[in-house]
Amino acid sequence: MNYSWINQMQIPAGMNVDGIFGIAFIAILIGLLVMAAVLSPRQKAWWPMVVAASGLVIAAQMIESTQVKSILIDAAALLAVGLVWYETREKSKSAWLNYLVMIAAAILMIETGSALLRGESIEAGLGTNKLAFGLLIAGFCLKLAFMPLYFWLPDVAERANPLTSAFIISIVDIGAFLELFHLRSEAPFLFDGYSTIWLVIAILCMLGGAILALAQTNVKRMLAFSTIDDMGYLLIGLLAGSEVGLTGTLVAAICHAFFKLCLFGSVAAAEKFEGRELTLDGSHGLASRYPVSSTVFILSALGMIGVPPLLGFAGRWRLYLSGYEQGGFLLAATMALATGLALLYYVRVIHKVWLGQPVADAKNREPLNVKVILLVFVIAMLVFGLMPGWVTGLLAG
Amino acid sequence: MDHLAVIPVAALGVGILLQLALGGFLSNRWKGILAFLAGLSSFIAILGLLPLVHANGFVKENLFVWDRNILFQFHVDGLSLVFGLMASGIGTAILFYCIQYMSHEKEGTTRFYGLMLTFIAGLVCLVFSENLLAVYISWEIIGLCSYFLVGFWYKQDAAVQGARKVLVMTHLPGYGLLIAILMLYHQTGSLVWTDPAVGAAFTTGIFLLVFLAAMAKSVLFLLHSWIPEAMNAPTPVSALLHSACYVKAGVYLVARMYSITTWNPAWNQIVLVIGCSTIFVGAVFALVQTDLKRMLAYSTISQLGYIITGLGLGTNLGLAAGLFYCMSHGLFKGTLFLCAGAVQHSAGTRDMRHLGGLAKKMPFTAAIWLIAASAIIGVPLTNGFIAKWLILDAAMESNALIVVVVAWIVSVFTAFYMLKATVSTFYGEESSELKGKHIHDAEPSMKIGMGVLGGMCVVFGVAPQLLMQSVIEPAVKSMNGGWELQLSWLGIQTQSAGLNMTLAAGILVVLSVVAGLITLTMTRKSANQAGTVSLFTGGDPLTEEVDVTVQDFAALAETAFNPIYQITDPDRVYFPLWRGIKTGALWLNHSIQIGLEKHAILASAVLAIVIIGLAAFV
Repeated sequence: MNYSWINQMQIPAGMNVDGIFGIAFIAILIGLLVMAAVLSPRQKAWWPMVVAASGLVIAAQMIESTQVKSILIDAAALLAVGLVWYETREKSKSAWLNYLVMIAAAILMIETGSALLRGESIEAGLGTNKLAFGLLIAGFCLKLAFMPLYFWLPDVAERANPLTSAFIISIVDIGAFLELFHLRSEAPFLFDGYSTIWLVIAILCMLGGAILALAQTNVKRMLAFSTIDDMGYLLIGLLAGSEVGLTGTLVAAICHAFFKLCLFGSVAAAEKFEGRELTLDGSHGLASRYPVSSTVFILSALGMIGVPPLLGFAGRWRLYLSGYEQGGFLLAATMALATGLALLYYVRVIHKVWLGQPVADAKNREPLNVKVILLVFVIAMLVFGLMPGWVTGLLAG
Repeated sequence: MDHLAVIPVAALGVGILLQLALGGFLSNRWKGILAFLAGLSSFIAILGLLPLVHANGFVKENLFVWDRNILFQFHVDGLSLVFGLMASGIGTAILFYCIQYMSHEKEGTTRFYGLMLTFIAGLVCLVFSENLLAVYISWEIIGLCSYFLVGFWYKQDAAVQGARKVLVMTHLPGYGLLIAILMLYHQTGSLVWTDPAVGAAFTTGIFLLVFLAAMAKSVLFLLHSWIPEAMNAPTPVSALLHSACYVKAGVYLVARMYSITTWNPAWNQIVLVIGCSTIFVGAVFALVQTDLKRMLAYSTISQLGYIITGLGLGTNLGLAAGLFYCMSHGLFKGTLFLCAGAVQHSAGTRDMRHLGGLAKKMPFTAAIWLIAASAIIGVPLTNGFIAKWLILDAAMESNALIVVVVAWIVSVFTAFYMLKATVSTFYGEESSELKGKHIHDAEPSMKIGMGVLGGMCVVFGVAPQLLMQSVIEPAVKSMNGGWELQLSWLGIQTQSAGLNMTLAAGILVVLSVVAGLITLTMTRKSANQAGTVSLFTGGDPLTEEVDVTVQDFAALAETAFNPIYQITDPDRVYFPLWRGIKTGALWLNHSIQIGLEKHAILASAVLAIVIIGLAAFV
């Protein structure tokens, strides 16, 4: 087998991935900035760092060269680390330190793996190549917080400002995931030759992420585990490598980015004006104070698990089909089980934090610009969910 | 006329958009009128499809390309019309009732009417859709509508807890339907249920997955326990949920499988076991309820059992019986809920322990309740009688004697709990809790809403052939069934095993009446001497102090059926299962926090080495 893949990046079957995600990232960045005008942390450095890191990710979508893309995404990840350090340095050392060490290690592993393969013909049985693929798999697991190397993400989500978490998950992480996506066509052996390992990682993400999310009482931490959970589904589509699987992965990744922005945005609005973190024990009936945020949270949570008619379904049914094609009924049922667990943890938050008897005065405290942004994004997800052909058609080029 | 099949959904869609656009300017009453008009337009448009379906068998309509090469299209046949007419017709009556019922609501009426119209539109799309993905999307849309409508009063803990249970218990089994659709797609490359390849690929495994989804929506035994918790919703929501739009979705799926594939006789046994269990369990639980709406909720479970049992018999008569029962149930259960809503609206409670004597102050509501209660019990001249008769007839014809016995015994239970509810709500002395309250009969739009539905119970009880020939016959034919039923006035048919049964029943009724009259005549004197009692006590006279109340009925049933309540309540499994999952999750989280997260960098290094090592061995 001969896979000479570095510097010959191609997008599978004419898919217009970079263009669509470039637009998506710009929309998310605008949404973030508009919400941040009211909800942002006090630190002045937040704005330039977020704009710069997002700019790097957006620029990466416009550049052909794999190496440059990779460098830009890595730079964005390091800026995100810097932002987390800036925000949490006084509160929690572990959050930024773990994030820094793990992202640095991930970059090192991915670059080493790539260097070992660069310009070489890849022989399946060659020891160096096996090491290279191992480094790539472990590196991406660390970078994208896949199970079992997920440790930095829950801490960062819990300690950082919710909008910072939204920025990391919706822009930096999805940008990094696109790196992995491109490898699907450039280095198919990384997936086809190691499908068992990837499948185990995907199932661990889906089930492990969902089970651990169920155990959380801090809403932001729970959302971090839900990201890990969702990444498992994205991996299933990527692993399939078929058009259905890849389209499912891309649609699900877009949904992930937008819904996570909405989820963290809703939490940010409530936390800002409540003056405390949202937890399952300490908050109840917030929908009466934050009706738009709660509605958006509920719809985004349902969208995350693929409930129609939101756009998430257009990704999820393809991913289920890919799962069935790869692992038969058992894998499809496992995916459904994990989704069931996801429904349970989201429903817990919805009913313990947002709905129910309000604890105190029910005066609406949501700022107008936050309401507008959240509604625009969630309505867009609903409209695109009703007509997903608009999105999948654009992706197909 | 082109696009005729689209008009019913378009009418509802326009109604939804108008609610959203004008909701901020209109009064609650005008929002209700607008919603009613949208529902009525949809109903008339579906009625307009009847002649076309009679003439051609079905109406087909290509809609739009939903996603890449996936085309959404409508295929409206007789079966679609049964459910479409039910959803839009009963839905319209309920919307008319809402005009006054919801007029005093302080907030959320735009949301309410928008969701009610979406709910009806969702069911119409479900039964009209030819593409299975569209079926699943519609399936989930009505699921979401029910979640948001049951939790309409989202500031009340009881309402949102009920909504939570609805969502979890109906959404999760829905994955059975999705996986079944994807399995069919994987095997055939088609998502269109009319495609013969899809029918050929329909295995027992796929049937079970679809049936699992249907069980949850149609409150069949083992997946039924969400519905009593959904009663803290506005009454029109309960009425729509129970009569037309929600619980019937599962019935539609089961019925539709007859159209899609050649029905495997082995499936009958599965459906009949679940159906009969549901008939029995629902009724036994209804016996002990003291909350009027909860009792009606359990009775829905039992009645859905009858419907599914009719379909499960698998014969032409069974299919006709099941579908007729389905429509009849929509009418009488919708009526009962609207009456219960009128009672709650006026008396401020639906607890039967605190009700009584309302017939004097709410004579219209009481009269309509009596009609609907007679229908659900199966009293002649009502549609419920015809429905029950047909089910028993079909069961006898199939030699399904267990079905006959279960259906017959549970009919007695039904009479028992409905009489309990009727007496303790409308008759006897007014309860002390109601004294001094300004109790009045339902307002005009409420009266018309429930009056129309109640009236239909009698119309189709006297002239069932109207419904049979126009709607049920094409539906049975669209299920690949034959039509051999010849019903005339009062549902009399002379071509089946039912004749003997009817004759036997008629003789028994006459003998009972004669025996009763003789006993009355012979014992009148002695009864006068001993003092009259107001309740039937098996012949034993009661003292003045003894007053048999609804609690006594409930306690009696609870004592008699106690072991059954223990065994047949699935929540006794689900709740420990949920607690187990939660405990397991907490334990895992705790273990990981102590073992790995505290030493995250070291743990990551070790695990990364393990992954690299595994890659080396692959």
